[in-house]
Amino acid sequence: MRAEHAPAYLAVASVSGLIFGAGLYIAQMTSPLVVLKFLDFGELFSGGWDPSLGFVIASAILVMIVGVRIAARRARPLFENRFYLPEFTDIDTPLILGGLLFGVGWGMSGICPGPAISLIGFMPDNLWIFLGTMFAGSFIGHYVLQALKGGKMPAPAE
Amino acid sequence: MDAFSPWPPLIGGLMIGLASAILWIGNGRIAGISGLFGQLLPPLGTVWWRVTFLVAMIAGAVGAAAIVPALFEGFRPEAPQLVGTPLWIATAGLLVGLGTKIGNGCTSGHGVCGIARFSKRSFVNVGIFFAVAIATVAITGIV
Repeated sequence: MRAEHAPAYLAVASVSGLIFGAGLYIAQMTSPLVVLKFLDFGELFSGGWDPSLGFVIASAILVMIVGVRIAARRARPLFENRFYLPEFTDIDTPLILGGLLFGVGWGMSGICPGPAISLIGFMPDNLWIFLGTMFAGSFIGHYVLQALKGGKMPAPAE
Repeated sequence: MDAFSPWPPLIGGLMIGLASAILWIGNGRIAGISGLFGQLLPPLGTVWWRVTFLVAMIAGAVGAAAIVPALFEGFRPEAPQLVGTPLWIATAGLLVGLGTKIGNGCTSGHGVCGIARFSKRSFVNVGIFFAVAIATVAITGIV
């Protein structure tokens, strides 16, 4: 049996997903307005600025730094044969272009992929439009990335 | 608006970090949501754990919405409404999908996991998308 189909592997994915989604809601990252009010630096000194996102990302990073250190002491993860590090290592055009495009979309909507999917549980008006074009964008992006990388694409993720 | 409390974002952030650490130590996978759903598209290799994670994530958010406001009186969630016209939302969604695929990550994959691994690629990507998002809000005045 493949490692990914073992009950323990799927249990880890479930527990991690549950905590991740609950964390997003408690942090109010499921509310686009909270995110937009953080990005609205024009309100920094007028009292309308919402620092929430700063607290969220800082505390998440701190905990994950500990997680990365614990993992580094191990030869392999608990339920998998190896750690799946991202295949790309260069600071290249796609990395920069991707950041630019995502930044515009995020600044327009206050929605990044985690909250976009989590919002399915609340089905606010017009969410399906966002999800539809986000999936389309990801699908098209695969070919754009292929073209930009000029055939230097790694094998698709397992 | 109520006075800002740092506790919900702090606790929420700790949970997001904990979830990312569990997936990394347990399964050796990066909890990057754009990567998770992007790889649900063909070829469908090991799609099950990704679907499992995403369904659990939705359940976690809904579960927290059912429980947390009742437990903590001071916790006042905002309505999860989208801003802008349908065309605006469609454009934003397309850019988020495209940008996270081309840049190979989003707020979770690059922003949390990548920064925590001190990945140079993630620092560059996160610096750009934060700066551009802040500029976009300033220019469009959507808030």
